[in-house]
Amino acid sequence: MKSGHATGLDRRRFLRGLGVGIALPAFGSLWPIPAQAATEAVAEGMATTATGAPLRSAFVFFPNGAVPSRWWPEGSETDFRLGETLRPLEGLRSQLQVLGGLDHACANPGPDGAGDHARATGVFLTGVRLKKSATDIRAGMSIDQVIARAAGNSTRLSSLELTCDTVRQAGACDFDYSCTYQYNLSWSTPTTPATPEANPRRVFERLFGAGEPGERVLNRLRRQQEDRSVLDYVLDETRRMQRRLGREDRDKLDQYLTSVRSVEARLQRSERLGPSRDPDRRTPAGIPAGHTEHVQLMYDLLVLAFQTDSTRVASFCLAHDGDNRPFPEIGVAQGHHDLSHHSNRPEKIAKLLAIERWYVTQFGRFLQSMQEIRDVDGRSLLHNSMIVYGGGNADANQHTHTNLPILLAGGGGDSLRPGRRVHRGSRPATNLFLSLADRMGVRGLERFGDSTGRLDGL
Amino acid sequence: MSELLQRRRFAATRIGTGLLGGLLFLACPAKSAGEADGEVAFRHQAQPVLAQYCFDCHGDGEKKGGVVLDRPDTGTIRDPEFWHRVLVQLRTGLMPPAGKPRPTPEERDRLERWIELQGLGLDPGNPDPGRVVLRRLNRIEYRNTVRDLLGVDFDTTSQFPPDDSGAGFDNNGQVLTVSPLLLEAYLDAARTIVARARTNRLETGATMGLPRGWPEDLAGRRTALRTWIRDFARRAFRRPVDDGSVDSLVAFAEETDARTGPDREAGLARAVMAMLVSPRFLFREEPIPGDPSGARYPWVDEHSLASRLSYFLWSSMPDAALRQQADAGTLRPNLASEIRRMLADERAGAFIRQFTGQWLRTRDLESIAIDPDAVRLQEEPPDLELDRLRQRLKELSVKPAGARSAEEEREFVAARERLFRVPRRPRLEFDNELRRALRDEVEHGFAHVVRQDRSVLELLDSDSLFLNERLALHYGLAHLGIRGPEFRRVTRPPENPRGGILTLGGVLVVTSNPTRTSPVKRGRFLLENLLGYPTPPPPPNIPPLEDSAVRTPGHEPTVREVLERHRTQPACRSCHDRLDPLGLALENFNALGQWRERESGRPIPSAGRLVTGESFRDLRELRQILVTGHRREFFRTLTEKLLTYALGRALDYRDVVTVDRIVERLEREDGRFSALLGGVIESAPFQRCRGGGEAQEPP
Repeated sequence: MKSGHATGLDRRRFLRGLGVGIALPAFGSLWPIPAQAATEAVAEGMATTATGAPLRSAFVFFPNGAVPSRWWPEGSETDFRLGETLRPLEGLRSQLQVLGGLDHACANPGPDGAGDHARATGVFLTGVRLKKSATDIRAGMSIDQVIARAAGNSTRLSSLELTCDTVRQAGACDFDYSCTYQYNLSWSTPTTPATPEANPRRVFERLFGAGEPGERVLNRLRRQQEDRSVLDYVLDETRRMQRRLGREDRDKLDQYLTSVRSVEARLQRSERLGPSRDPDRRTPAGIPAGHTEHVQLMYDLLVLAFQTDSTRVASFCLAHDGDNRPFPEIGVAQGHHDLSHHSNRPEKIAKLLAIERWYVTQFGRFLQSMQEIRDVDGRSLLHNSMIVYGGGNADANQHTHTNLPILLAGGGGDSLRPGRRVHRGSRPATNLFLSLADRMGVRGLERFGDSTGRLDGL
Repeated sequence: MSELLQRRRFAATRIGTGLLGGLLFLACPAKSAGEADGEVAFRHQAQPVLAQYCFDCHGDGEKKGGVVLDRPDTGTIRDPEFWHRVLVQLRTGLMPPAGKPRPTPEERDRLERWIELQGLGLDPGNPDPGRVVLRRLNRIEYRNTVRDLLGVDFDTTSQFPPDDSGAGFDNNGQVLTVSPLLLEAYLDAARTIVARARTNRLETGATMGLPRGWPEDLAGRRTALRTWIRDFARRAFRRPVDDGSVDSLVAFAEETDARTGPDREAGLARAVMAMLVSPRFLFREEPIPGDPSGARYPWVDEHSLASRLSYFLWSSMPDAALRQQADAGTLRPNLASEIRRMLADERAGAFIRQFTGQWLRTRDLESIAIDPDAVRLQEEPPDLELDRLRQRLKELSVKPAGARSAEEEREFVAARERLFRVPRRPRLEFDNELRRALRDEVEHGFAHVVRQDRSVLELLDSDSLFLNERLALHYGLAHLGIRGPEFRRVTRPPENPRGGILTLGGVLVVTSNPTRTSPVKRGRFLLENLLGYPTPPPPPNIPPLEDSAVRTPGHEPTVREVLERHRTQPACRSCHDRLDPLGLALENFNALGQWRERESGRPIPSAGRLVTGESFRDLRELRQILVTGHRREFFRTLTEKLLTYALGRALDYRDVVTVDRIVERLEREDGRFSALLGGVIESAPFQRCRGGGEAQEPP
C-alpha cells in the first residue's frame, strides 16, 4: 500500500552495484575522495582534522531508550566489559566511547506534564524546553544545524537529515504536543524543522543528481542552471507578495524565503565546488518495504555522503520516540513502545533487548563500513568522524531522561580518545554537543540549549 | 488532540495566572467601573446557580481540583480560558458529577449564557472570525491541484516529506512549514510535472495542458504567450493576476527562449515551472479586504471564498464554474447550490477521505502493525492437553519408524489422529486488501450520510452496514453472499451487534496494540473524538497495567480484570472511571475488529456504566444512550472537528458562539448533514476575516 516502495531485490542490486555492504573495502579504494574539497576546507579551517582531511559529525537517534542494566558496561575507564546491548559492537570497541551521566533535563515533564516521547525526540538535539502546543510550535535550533551553519559552506550539502519514519500518525500525537516535535530531530530555526528525507532515491539524487550513471553530472548542471533562473523569478515574486501581507502571514512567507535562499546558497556552493562525481551505480528505486533494508540503505547513503565529502554533518532518526513497530525480522510481534513498558516482566525485557540489540547491530554495520574506507589522509573514515548514537529516553519503562544511553564513535581525526567508558558525573547532554561543535570549527558559541560548559576528557 | 481540548486542560494551570490577574485588578482602580458591572452580572446571573450546585466542592473555602468558583476577586472572572473549561465540564455532564444534584435546564441556560457573554466576553451578534495564517498546500492538495491544473497525476507521497499536523489535521496553516528540503522537492516536482504535461499534450492533445501550435511571427507569438500565461496564472494562483505579474512572467519566458534557442516552448515551460514553485501557487493568498462598510470583520473576497470552498470539499483548486461565479461576484448568493454541486462531484471524495482519515484516524490503517496470530491466541486459552500431545508427537516423530516400540507406535498414531481432528480456523492475514477494506468501510458509511443528507446521528447508530466480500468474510458475515471488491449497503442482520462508528473495524484496529485490544486507548479515542470529553493525561510514575496483572491469581487475567484492579488504586480511579467503560464495552471486538465471545477462554461481559451515570446492558443500549442522552455533545464535537478541518486552524474559546450556532441548527434540522455543512460554510470564521491588515487581537 505504501507507494514508492522498492523491493528487497532492488536494494540488493543497488548495494551490489554500489559496492557497499560486504564489498565495501574495494569500493573505498576504487573511488577515492576528490582531494579538491579537502584543500578548500583547509583554507577555511572549518570541519577539518589536523591532517587537513574533512572532519564529519553525525547524530543518530534511536527510539524508546535502552534497558539501563543491560546497556552500561562494567569495569574501569579503559578495561571494561560491554553490556549485553552493546555486545554487537565488541569488534569496534577501540573506536567507541560509552558516555555516562548525560541528561536532558528539558525532556523531563516539569510543568508540562505528559508527552515524554514528543520531548525525547524534540529535545534530543535542541536541548531546550519545547512549547507545549498542538499548533504554536517553538523548539530551538539543533546542534547539527548550528554546525551546518558554521561549517556547511565547504560542501555541496551543508547538512543531511535522514529518517526511517515514512508515515506520520494521523490526528493527534503525544498528548498536547504537535506531531512536529515527535518526528523532527533537526531544527534550522526554533520554528522551522529541517525536514528529514525518508526516500533513499531522493537522498541519492540530492547527492549525485538524477538519471542513469553517466548522465548525472550533465543532468545536474542543467538542473542547477534551471533552478537558479526559477529561484531568481520566485524571489522577486515573493518580495512583491510580502508587501501585500499582514504580519503573521509575512512570518510564514519569511520561512519560505529562508528556504529559497538556502537552496540558492547550495546551488552556488555546487558551482563553486565543481561537479560531484557520478558514483556510476544504480539509483535506489525508492523506500524499501522492510525496516532492516531501509535502515541499512540509509546508513549506506550516509557513508557515501561522507566518503564523497558531500556533507560533513548529518542527523539520522532511526524512528521517532514512541515508535510502536513490531520486528518480525527478529520474531518480535509486539510493538517496540509497548515492550518498552515492560513492568520488569522477563519475557518482555528479552524481546525489548532483542530490538535494542538489533538497532545496535545496524549501527555496528555502519561503523564497520566507515572503518574500512580510507580517507584522503590514509586514515579511516571513522577515524576522521564523530558519530553520536543515542536516545532521548533513558529507561523508557519509567520515562526517565537522565543518564541517557549515548555513545560517541570515531576518532574525531585524533581529537578524541576512543576505546573508553567515560563518566564524569551528571551533566547536560548539550555539554557534549558544545564540545563536538568546537571540534567542527564552530566559533564563539558559549552556550547551547541548557549547557553548563564543555564536556572534558573526550 | 484539538487545540480546544488542550486549552481546556491548560486552563487548570492558568488558575495561578488568574490569581495574579486578581491582584493586579485590586491594585488597578482605573478599570474598576467596567469590572464592577461584570461583578454585578456575576452576582445576579452566575453566582446563584454556582452556589447551589458547585460550591460544595468549589466554593466556601473548598477548592477541589484547584478550582474555585465563588470568588470573583480571584481574577478567574476575567480569565476566558478558565470559564471555557467550566463550560466544557458543564456541557459534557462531567460536572456536577453523577449522583449529585444538577441544575435544571433553565438554570443551566442562564449560567451558560453568563459564561458566554461575560466569562468568555463574546459578542454573539458579531463573532470574531479568528485569524487563519497563510496556508501552504499540503501534499494531497498539491497533488489534486496539479491534476486539475495540468492533467498530470504526480505522486507526492513518495516525492514530498510527510506534512505535519496540528489540532488533528494536516491542513493546519500554522504547522505547515517549508524547509529547504521541501523547496528542493518542489523544484524537482515542477520540472517533472511540466515535462509530463508536455508529453501528454503531444500524445493526447489534452486541452488542459500547455497550448498547441504557435503563431510563426514574433508579434503574434508574444500575444499568444501573454494570453496563455495570463489564463494559466489566474488558474494556478486562483485569482486574477495584475498586468505587472503577467509582464514579468512573459519576460521570464522570452529570456529563456532567447537563451535556449531551438526548443520553442522552453521559455513557456520554464515559466510554468516558475509558477509551480511560486509562493502564490504553493500558498493560499487571501488579500486583506478593503473595508467599505466599516465592518469590524469584513467578508473575504469571492476568490478567497472559492478557494476556501474548493480546498475544504475537494482538497483542490476551484474549477471553472466557481471561478466564473467569483469573477462575477455571484458566489455568495449562490452558495447553497454550489455546495450541492460540489458535494455531488466526485472530487468530494477527497473531503470524505481526508476528513474521516484524520478524525477517525483510518489513515493509520496503512501502516499500523497488528499480529493476527497473537490476536487469535488472546481469544483461546492454551489447551494444555493438546500442547502435551503436540510435544509428544514431536518427540516420537524424530524416532525412525522402526525404533518406536509397539506402544509408542500406538501412541503416535492416536496422537496424530487426535490432532488431525482439531478444527483449524483459516489463517488470518492482515494484508493490504483488508486494510483498504477497513478504510473504505469507514468512508462509505460517512459518504452515505453526506450524500444522502441523512442525520449525523446515523454515524453513531445505524442499521446499515457497508461491506465487500473480503470485509464480510472478515466480520463472519459470509452468509450474506456479498461477492467481489465493490462495497454495497446491506441492512444489518437481526442480532448483529454492528452499526455506527463504535463498531467500525477500522476504528477498532487503529485503537489497538499490535497483539491485543486496548480498552483505554479505545475509550480515550471515543470520548475525545465523539463526545469531546477532556481526558487528562496519566500522571507521572503511574503503576503500569501489568503490575496489576501479575497479582491476579489462578489464571491469565483478561484485560478487563487488569483494568478493574488498576481502578482500585485511588490515583488511577478518577480517570479510568471515565476512560474505561466505553472501551470495555467494545471488548467483544478483537484487535482486528472481529467479534469474539471470549478472551483467554473467559466470556466477555458486555454491560457497563458510563461516568455520567447511565448503565447499559450491551452495545445496543450503549448506542441508544449515546444518540439520546449525549446527542448534543456529539453534535458539538463533530462540529468542532469539521470546523477545524474547514478553517485550517485550531479552535479556541472565541469560537464557542460559532459552534453553538451550528449545533442549534443541527438540533432544529434533525441532525441533517446539510445543516452541519451549511452551518460551517456560512459561519463567520469561514466567510469573514479580521480586517485591517495588522489587525490586532480583539480585547
